[in-house]
Amino acid sequence: MTIIAVAGKGGTGKTLVSALLVHFISKHTSRLLAVDADPDSNLPEALGVSKLVRKTIGEIREAFQTSRDEMGSMNKEQWIEGKIYGEVVCECENYDLIVMGRPEGEGCYCFANSLLRGVLRKMMKHYDYIVVDSEAGLEHFSRKTIDSADYVIVVTDASMKGLTTAKRIKQLMKELKLGVKEIFLIANRVYSQEAERNIRKFADEEGIKLLEVLPFDEEVAKIDMMGLPVTMLNESSEVYKRMKKVSDFFLKLKATI
Amino acid sequence: MVERRRIEIPSGVKLKESVGEETKFPFEISPMYEGERIRKDDMFVELGGPTQPKFELVMALPVDQVVDMKVTLVGPDLDEMEQGKAYPYAMVYYIAGSKIETDLEPVIERRNHDFQNYIEGYMHLNQRYDIWIRIGKNAMKKGLKSLIQIAKATMMLYKNELPFIEKIEAVYITDKALVEKLLKEVAMPIYEERDRRVETLHDEDVSEFYSCTLCQSFAPTNVCIVSPDRPSLCGAITWFDGRAAAKVDPEGPNRAVPKGEVLDPIGGEYSGVNEFAKQESGGEYERIKLHSFFEYPHTSCGCFEVIGFYMPEVDGIGWVNRGYPDPAPNGLTFSTMAGQTGGGKQVAGFLGVGMAYFRSKKFIQADGGWYRTVWMPKALKEKLEKYIPADIKDKIATEEQARTLDELKEFLKKVDHPVVKGVVRPVDGKKITNGWVEEVAEVAKEEEKPAEAAPATTHAVTQPAQQAVQQFSMPLVQLPQLQLPAASSAPAGIKIIIKDAKITIDKVIVRKAEKGGK
Repeated sequence: MTIIAVAGKGGTGKTLVSALLVHFISKHTSRLLAVDADPDSNLPEALGVSKLVRKTIGEIREAFQTSRDEMGSMNKEQWIEGKIYGEVVCECENYDLIVMGRPEGEGCYCFANSLLRGVLRKMMKHYDYIVVDSEAGLEHFSRKTIDSADYVIVVTDASMKGLTTAKRIKQLMKELKLGVKEIFLIANRVYSQEAERNIRKFADEEGIKLLEVLPFDEEVAKIDMMGLPVTMLNESSEVYKRMKKVSDFFLKLKATI
Repeated sequence: MVERRRIEIPSGVKLKESVGEETKFPFEISPMYEGERIRKDDMFVELGGPTQPKFELVMALPVDQVVDMKVTLVGPDLDEMEQGKAYPYAMVYYIAGSKIETDLEPVIERRNHDFQNYIEGYMHLNQRYDIWIRIGKNAMKKGLKSLIQIAKATMMLYKNELPFIEKIEAVYITDKALVEKLLKEVAMPIYEERDRRVETLHDEDVSEFYSCTLCQSFAPTNVCIVSPDRPSLCGAITWFDGRAAAKVDPEGPNRAVPKGEVLDPIGGEYSGVNEFAKQESGGEYERIKLHSFFEYPHTSCGCFEVIGFYMPEVDGIGWVNRGYPDPAPNGLTFSTMAGQTGGGKQVAGFLGVGMAYFRSKKFIQADGGWYRTVWMPKALKEKLEKYIPADIKDKIATEEQARTLDELKEFLKKVDHPVVKGVVRPVDGKKITNGWVEEVAEVAKEEEKPAEAAPATTHAVTQPAQQAVQQFSMPLVQLPQLQLPAASSAPAGIKIIIKDAKITIDKVIVRKAEKGGK
């Protein structure tokens, strides 16, 4: 099991990166789980599978909170597991997808989360790859609903804000002690050489390996505007080609362990 | 109780039988396979699941009625099934052993889920009438031929892991009519009986309770004790959940707490619980009574769904749930009270509980239970309606009848709530409060602490309550009735009414002599 967490400031293109990773890795193995862990993102749309999504983990957790008193002597862990396996995991063409959904409401979620953690941990170990599209606050990692990450890809654009967030994520990842082996940087929508130089300098200073620089791409922008899945990108597109290289890097990384 | 007996198999149905242990299986068996999900594309067939009738059931039978390691399969076997299709499925196990009782059935039944998931290429989800099984193509490729092999492997695991099972026999059914018939006539009544057991099982029926330390990270001194009559105060964990968790991970967040000696059957005090409390709270608390509001009440972690608060002015208890945003009649909101009580404190006069505790037959029984309850938000009352005794239901006010203490007082008097004349606690028929005794005192103290100004009480129960409310009312509650006379500060012509001096926080109300209004 290799968990790749993709994080970054909103709007930098981490969902683009996550979706293309899923797209390429799933060509090599069906034991791949895509996790949409950003309530504000839309990984299913980016993958073109939003019609397959039925329930989110958040919805199951809420349903648990409201119906648990009526469960009699039923086993609650099995209840949650059944809901996740039956209603949350969505079987896409060559991979599975789960959507974490909305954050908790008020009240105590200790028990619900404790059950959830157990179920997810058991489930995740059966996948070769898990790609997590995560918001910058890394909520699911800090709550340990997802309890580890092998690699972190921080996606940034050329803006100072994007880089500042990248720095913060690196710090947070360290504090959370998730057993991260390495943190990588992917720069997206880099429109000038100066911007690229700037990012390279940042990566050097922070000691983060710059994995790839994705140029500004008309086609990505168009697909984005029309709300089409990024998996429809033309194979000759620069972003497509470079993300394929990134995916190959991870496939090789795993093979060499 | 639903009678436990062997299933009757109608004549003329297709039947396969096999007795004895299997020595070799064409699949691996290991906990490693737990959690493995079989995708639709990798699936040979689906058994049960969303579209088919299905159930699993364990029945305890006398030892002479169980044929050890026998499997009967009724209906088509795997080799007669079509790839990609779903079929009806029932798994019934008869178990026998000198230590096996009906009560153990659900505990044993849930292990079917664990054991079957140890089987490579076999996915088992859910429980009871919801089971959903997928058999993988890979399992068939490796040589799985019959459900009898699955049954034999499961029974083997049962006997290895639960040695108190002396004999086990399985009946697997894929015949639709029979699955449907048995689900309705045998399985459902048994599940219902088990759920009723949740309500009929009491603290005195079990030898151990369970702890929960899931919340200790933010409430370090919290000691949550989950008993049959007292679910956790977050509302999530019942005694059955605690038992299930403790069986799986005895050193985990839910551990068994032996009851020990009964020290107070009404308050719910046990030597084992006290010992545990001392140890878990780091010596902070030495005694805990599970069903008491005033005397050594349970600690409150902060997770509670509902908080109870004592109102000395009416000598009654109010409850407010997390979702109710307005101040309760005592002038405090849920969050204010929760902030003071939470964090694992034992605060007499305030008590955090789970919604499910209101269903308990022992619901704060030491302090009168429902008959001491005077107020709760309408939404909460409606939710709990069927658990409130009929003779008190209409006497409990909601925000529609009372938003202030004055309105509450009026209401309680009007409906003649037990607190007005004195509460008799149902558990032993003892009169525990004396009702509102109005006395006229001559001296008016000005801004003295009200509780101290009142005559000392002799009743033991009131001691902690008094302290707590004092503690609370000082910084937080500027009781409206007290402020008025204090402002006027004219000793002459003022009446001090000491209410209910015998029982609770003795509270002083200062009023203008000529009018009894404010």
